[in-house]
Amino acid sequence: MISCSLLPMFAAAYPAKTMWAITVPVVLGGLAVFVLLPRPRRFPPLAGAACAGLALLFAGWLLVDTGTSGPETVLFYSFSGIAIVGGGLLVTQANPVKAALSFTLVVLSTCGLFLLLAAPFLMAATIIVYAGAIIVTFLFVIMLAQQSGLSDADQRSREPLLTTVGGFVLLGALLFILAVTYDSSGIERHVRRTEAVLERLSALPPDGDWRGPSSDVESTLKDFLEWQSQTVRSGTDASKRLEAALIDAASTGASPQATRTDVVQALNNVRDRATEVRWTMGFLRPGANARLSDASGPPPNLPPGELRRDAFGRPPLPAANTAYLGRSLFSDYLLAVELGGTLLLIATIGAIAITGRRTERPR
Amino acid sequence: MSAVPLHNYLVVGAILFVLGVIGFLARRNMIVMFLSAEMMLQGVTINLVAFARYRGNLQGQSFTLFILTVAACEAAVALALFLMLYRSRKSLDVSVWQDLREAGQPATVDEETLPLPPVEEPLPTLTPAGLEPEHRGERTHV
Repeated sequence: MISCSLLPMFAAAYPAKTMWAITVPVVLGGLAVFVLLPRPRRFPPLAGAACAGLALLFAGWLLVDTGTSGPETVLFYSFSGIAIVGGGLLVTQANPVKAALSFTLVVLSTCGLFLLLAAPFLMAATIIVYAGAIIVTFLFVIMLAQQSGLSDADQRSREPLLTTVGGFVLLGALLFILAVTYDSSGIERHVRRTEAVLERLSALPPDGDWRGPSSDVESTLKDFLEWQSQTVRSGTDASKRLEAALIDAASTGASPQATRTDVVQALNNVRDRATEVRWTMGFLRPGANARLSDASGPPPNLPPGELRRDAFGRPPLPAANTAYLGRSLFSDYLLAVELGGTLLLIATIGAIAITGRRTERPR
Repeated sequence: MSAVPLHNYLVVGAILFVLGVIGFLARRNMIVMFLSAEMMLQGVTINLVAFARYRGNLQGQSFTLFILTVAACEAAVALALFLMLYRSRKSLDVSVWQDLREAGQPATVDEETLPLPPVEEPLPTLTPAGLEPEHRGERTHV
């Protein structure tokens, strides 16, 4: 009953593109995983592989559309594509050795993503710990425990239909929440359009007529306002300021005695407010009285507008990643580091205690 | 020109996490189940590192280091357990341990039979032809 009333509400609140961008890849991916999960079958599941390929294509096209084509985008697409394909292989591969190797693929491409996200120390640590230690131990256990080919259990799955439906409903819900909270492509589009209008206005002669279809002020503001009123995110302060700036700019553009300078000022205000909204998207600020140190960067309760940013709008991270990480670990998280060390020690002792054969020898 | 937005990294993390959930629930080999759980952790770490990048401080990366530590502990204990379980039942299948289930739950039985492995054609054998020569001079070896 709840879903009956919620679905039309969502459909009204979100543009159809968002709904399709989530539904199509999720349904195709679910179908692919369901068909490909190991089970007794006679023919190789080519339809499942085709579905998987289509799901990846649609996800890349609709879901993670960056709209740019720099080297970073290319690297992002290849690393995340390899990670997802590796994950799919891990789930659907009947042979556990091949599953372990595709997990290595997932780990390595995740490390590529870490490098793109300016975390070189974590990349090295993950490769050493996962690909170096854990995978080798896994292969060792597989070798010890499974000498005679594929076992009966590897070629079957437990409740493939229920699992796939449950998993992909979860994925759809997660993607929907992410699109509502973090998807900045809509506001980026409108910011770019506003900037283009500002450029056209500044190219005009100062006392010339700025109205008319060539400058496109009115329709740009109208579309922006319409988009803003459609988003559910309109509760935050930054969003309210953007709305006020938009209404102000629209009334300036509509008044007959407004000069070009007034309009440019109003549009600049709109652009600044929109940038602020983009930066604070999905931002959960800690309370004002939270005691947070700044050993790992600027204090987290600094207002987002005061944060220093690079040309792409991202705050810079320290170049000496390892040094700052170490400083942060040994100042902010000293107790947690000690506890982690203790946990490692206990786990080592526990592993030895579990596997140690205690055969009593008669004397 | 702009960089890859935060949303894209979060989407990749969510997909990896859900694939891990499906693998953990659907697969029956204990090692593959454990690998799927590790893949869920990978999805979460992508989220944390992406947030660290786009919020401009290193706290997400520090937390990922702790995840790494706990994952290593988990792997050590779990692999030791797998070895012990394998020793007692000679199988890595979790369904072997279904007598630990809650009282009143029906047992799961594999109904579908696995297809038989393809029968290999026997290698051609040649019928012996000709006579075996006499082995002269090989009666004694010094």
